[in-house]
Amino acid sequence: MLSVDGVSFRYAGGEEPVLRQLSISVPAGGIFGLLGPNGAGKTTLISILAGQLRAASGRITVDGTPLEELRRREPASLGLVPQEFAFYPMLTCVENLRFFGGVQGLGGARLRERVDSVANFARIVSVMPRRAGELSGGLRRRLNLAIGLLTEPRILLLDEPTVGVDPQSRSFLLDSIRALAGEGRTILYTSHYMEEVEAICDRVAIIDAGRVLREGTLAELLRDDAAVVPVRHDNRSLEQLFMHLTSRSLRD
Amino acid sequence: MRTLLALWTKEWLALSRDVHGLAVLFLMPAAFIVIMSLALSDVFRDGSGRPVDFAVLAADANAAAYLADGIAGEGFRATPAPASEAAARDQVRKGNPALVLIVPAGFGADPSATLKLLADPTLLPIQIAAFLQRVQGATLAVKSSSPPLSLEVVGNPRGGRPSSVQQNVPAWLIFGMFLVVMPISALFIAERRDGTLARLVSQRVPFSMLLLGKVGPLFVINLVQAALMLAAGRTLVPWLGGESLALPARWDLLAAVAASTSLAAIGWGLLVAVASRTIEQATVVGGVGTILAAALGGIMVPRFVMPESMQAWAGLSPMAWALDGFHAVILRQGSAADIALPCLKLLVLAAALLAAALWLHHSRRAG
Repeated sequence: MLSVDGVSFRYAGGEEPVLRQLSISVPAGGIFGLLGPNGAGKTTLISILAGQLRAASGRITVDGTPLEELRRREPASLGLVPQEFAFYPMLTCVENLRFFGGVQGLGGARLRERVDSVANFARIVSVMPRRAGELSGGLRRRLNLAIGLLTEPRILLLDEPTVGVDPQSRSFLLDSIRALAGEGRTILYTSHYMEEVEAICDRVAIIDAGRVLREGTLAELLRDDAAVVPVRHDNRSLEQLFMHLTSRSLRD
Repeated sequence: MRTLLALWTKEWLALSRDVHGLAVLFLMPAAFIVIMSLALSDVFRDGSGRPVDFAVLAADANAAAYLADGIAGEGFRATPAPASEAAARDQVRKGNPALVLIVPAGFGADPSATLKLLADPTLLPIQIAAFLQRVQGATLAVKSSSPPLSLEVVGNPRGGRPSSVQQNVPAWLIFGMFLVVMPISALFIAERRDGTLARLVSQRVPFSMLLLGKVGPLFVINLVQAALMLAAGRTLVPWLGGESLALPARWDLLAAVAASTSLAAIGWGLLVAVASRTIEQATVVGGVGTILAAALGGIMVPRFVMPESMQAWAGLSPMAWALDGFHAVILRQGSAADIALPCLKLLVLAAALLAAALWLHHSRRAG
């Protein structure tokens, strides 16, 4: 279980905190959807979990062990797939995979085996000799995911991993993420696509302005809010609940 | 017409909001005007820069004083004579005084007695020529005809006057090495923008390691740059009709100065990269900063033509330290002791810049 307990964060020079005493519990071996409008604090939370930012207060643990300690002890235990194409466009796919594997301590036969394995998983074998910058959006997303899987992390942070891809690539990516969860990985998944979250997430948290508004299984969320969401029960969807909770006003 | 008006309006708005581009257009020329005007103010005021110090060494103290009085003026200032020719050679090699005229015993009576002039290799040939004219004028008061005079540029492997290539290669080599700030910052900012840096940090690659990972390849590039520029001075310049660069005897000292300069340049590049939020910002801070440091540090205008007050400021530029180091090796044929101080300054600066980059990164991470 990945527990985030009372985490707060404010960017240097920022007027308002981005996260305010935020708490969520991500069960082991499932997909946890993190939903929120732009500026809700999703990427900031992912950045704190990934070690890029340091929370001002709060505690993050994995099965009772502080996350920092776990990452120190097992650096490969956590993988990040950022929403940006976080690789080097001037390098080929295979060079990118070898580089990211190498900086994480993989080498020799083990590195070759992992590169082959993730390339097969992400179905990018045929484009391995091509420069990453020349790939289509869907292939780039798949390479981005493949890099995050090199060390077989048991916790995977996926920050909007399907943005800007065609339906075929999205379907493939969602199937792949389901398969990863099926292998026992804990996956924290952020997205703006409600239907994706409905389709693959076991639990969901809706956050806004740095706070958790609702957290539970999809069924729990829809049931608990039946009284306040002004739509017929049989038509209720996560998107309606989301719009109701976060209000319909446009965000910056 | 309406289309053109719309295009002009758009262009004006876009330009007016490109703060960094405008800063380059307006601030850089303004800074150049200030620095270059101050640096060259003495040259345009009385035809020479700061007075060049010289001494006259003669067996007869009265004759030495007489000649020194006659030579002084028009940009040359007399200083006390060294104790011996060996001491004179050692002092000139260090540039203080820049010129020593050695007068042989019996100079007044013997028509074949030859004067010897020891000259600092960093002096411009035109300054040496001007001094020789002053010497001729002063000696004609003692003798009826100009005495023979031999010139020894101390430390210069050619023995004669330092060539333009000998003076220019070190200066532009340093400038080229400091331009490494551009690729470092561009690549680093692209890594940050594309999330690759975030991904590496999430993989527990220490930030200090990421910075050190950049030092190695850029250090090699800087050294290749140095080798190519020396090779250009050695082969390309003479091929185009100029003089060939005379290489120093001590390659190890040359490598030490080049390595220290490279580390300082890379440190500067890393700090600019971490501090800048956009490539445009890095271009302004890094590019303009490098050019201004070059103008101040004696790369574009030799320091000895600057006014004394300006020279004190010039001494703050790391490029001036690097130039001192390269001059000690290439022009003065100096020893390890001669490059120790400039190298130490450059290495301390490199460490300080790297530490500042790390501190800045960690303070931003804490929010």
